[in-house]
Amino acid sequence: MPRVELKRVTMRYGKLRAVDEVDLTIADGEYVTILGPSGCGKTTLVRIIAGILEPTEGEVWIGGREMRGVPIEERDVGYVFQNIALFPHLDVEDNVSYGPRVKDLPREEQVQVAKRYLELVKLLDKMEMFPSELCGGEQQKASLARALATGAKLLLLDEPLSALDARVRVDLRYELRRIVKALGLTTVHVTHDQEEAMSVSDRIMVMRAGGVVETGTPEQLYTQPKDIFTANFVGETNLLEGWVKGRAEGKSLIELRDGSTVEVTECGHKEGDAVVISVRPEFVFPFTDGLPSRVQYVTYMGTYWRVVAQSRSEDRVEFDVPAAEGKLYHQGQEVYLMVNRRAAVVYPRPLEGIAEAVKLE
Amino acid sequence: MPTIKLEGIGKRYGDIKAADGLDLEVRNGEYLCLLGPTGAGKTTALRIISGLTKPDKGRITFDDKFMNEEEPENRRAVMLSQTYALFPQLTVAKNILFGPDIRDVPDELKKRTLAEMLDLVRLAHRPGAYPKELSGGMQQRTALARALASGADVLLLDEPLRALDARLRISLRQELRSLVKSLGITTIHVTHDHDEALVMADRIAVIHGGKIIQVGSPAEVFDNPISPFVANFVGQSNFFVGKVGAKREATEVRGENGRSVMAQPCSCREGESVVVAVKVGNTEISKEGEGFFEGRVERILFEGRNLHIDLEVGGLGHFAAKVPSWRLGKLSMGDKVQIRWSAEKASVFPVPPGGLEEELRVE
Repeated sequence: MPRVELKRVTMRYGKLRAVDEVDLTIADGEYVTILGPSGCGKTTLVRIIAGILEPTEGEVWIGGREMRGVPIEERDVGYVFQNIALFPHLDVEDNVSYGPRVKDLPREEQVQVAKRYLELVKLLDKMEMFPSELCGGEQQKASLARALATGAKLLLLDEPLSALDARVRVDLRYELRRIVKALGLTTVHVTHDQEEAMSVSDRIMVMRAGGVVETGTPEQLYTQPKDIFTANFVGETNLLEGWVKGRAEGKSLIELRDGSTVEVTECGHKEGDAVVISVRPEFVFPFTDGLPSRVQYVTYMGTYWRVVAQSRSEDRVEFDVPAAEGKLYHQGQEVYLMVNRRAAVVYPRPLEGIAEAVKLE
Repeated sequence: MPTIKLEGIGKRYGDIKAADGLDLEVRNGEYLCLLGPTGAGKTTALRIISGLTKPDKGRITFDDKFMNEEEPENRRAVMLSQTYALFPQLTVAKNILFGPDIRDVPDELKKRTLAEMLDLVRLAHRPGAYPKELSGGMQQRTALARALASGADVLLLDEPLRALDARLRISLRQELRSLVKSLGITTIHVTHDHDEALVMADRIAVIHGGKIIQVGSPAEVFDNPISPFVANFVGQSNFFVGKVGAKREATEVRGENGRSVMAQPCSCREGESVVVAVKVGNTEISKEGEGFFEGRVERILFEGRNLHIDLEVGGLGHFAAKVPSWRLGKLSMGDKVQIRWSAEKASVFPVPPGGLEEELRVE
């Protein structure tokens, strides 16, 4: 399977840089997701890899070969779109065997290939149906089988699950990863859905405004995001605004706007530095002392209660309570909140302000 | 704000029954989520309430007043479509005042309505902007303001967050709910996203095949699903098929191969074939102790707050569990683990007539 390298890939439209100097190396057989909000340049980038667009600057290497001028049909890529693009007048089998047919494989081999991939996506029993007779999830599985049947070694998935219902999407993302891993394909998957990205990927590249914010494994991006934008975009988080008050014995003490303090693991910032603490709701817990806060509302999430509170320091603080403990909190209640020191990440306070730094659109 | 009642509503499109004896009551000022898969009849139900679609049979009442023959404009029930349908050539202000403009509302009142609405949806700084100049979230708020400015008593939201990015959708859930609740309007929100319904609804009505199959608070629907379909649609579930054994404070269900599990008390008979459903988030796994049966860890996916664990159980097929992500590193592929759950988290159902697989189909 090919290794993919992007070197300073840039796409300009007049003055606008839709993709701005993106570097990325995808290993043989790796599943990488490009994640970002609408308009971040992720779809442009995957089209550049596919060869649908030529970048204005930079290089795309696939399997050790520079791709400038190489058309999509010679790049050996399978491409699956958000909007299912099956041939409506062909049945499922003929849709899937389309690639082998174009390559002039013998008829028996065409059928064999189609059946092999239909079995993999669990659609063997529907191969005589037409696309309109399938539901959305099945149509998308057929699209995937068709892309795989071309014999492509590099799979490009452009929002492959976005058009589907939430529940179908969840089942299909586990299935999707299983299938491409079984075949050992190198995969690039584009999505705006951070939950989907975490479930399917070996690594995630977070994009914003054409540029790369950071790249890491789902675990790295969730537990130790380097950028405050990632902290908020990949999973939910609380952002507490303050200053470094002191440092000692591997700990930093952060003072919030009302003078209350939060202890975090030594963060490398100097005393007096303006900082933001990011801590996820599952790592904030009510205690006998801590940040004085008032509960605003409580929501049942099935296996836990999500409690949203406003702290005296005027930060919004959300915390989770296991459902098994019962509904312990109600609107207007006073609580004291502690932060799990080791789960907190500290960022320099962004010059443009926190809201601007984590803005989702 | 009215209480809305639908009784025995039927609506056919050719061979398709979009509503098939649909009963639903939406209380005064309530935020109700109508939750179901594509094709369940969600949008049809909304259109019937709004008056845009006439049912073939059944009764619609608003506060006991018979509404079947009432024109849409007399129902004061306004629908917000998932694509917002803003007028591209009109500014935010003109879009919001579209309703009042055609009703010839006096200028003074229009001015006040506009100011109130812009304030409510936090667009006071953008009244002169055109829709294409706005972000998706702002367009959504403009559409909401336009719906509210028409003086609606009933708000019908057809997948109002669908057009937005996943992360933005999550952060706007509470905002949309709070805004609507602050006005006290009776609201019906259609969605296929069970997390969205759990977070936003006072009550959830699960719709499937043109019928309402369960209505209850988010906790009721999640914890006490009425059927295997609901168990698996409102959060993923694991299933165990067997026969009812001993019944005491909990029900024992015995599968083939001599394995047995515990579940909630049920009205089933001893020896009856049943299906046990338990949410993946309530399925516990551990390397020590004794579970109902043993499984092998096939795959571990890091999903943020949770790990998703796929398990293979000899003779029973696949199970899944969600465990807090701090357990990463404490579990490895190939590990043998004990699988169990608390009896009160597991529901018991008769075996569905068409088979379990058919029952669980979500599209």
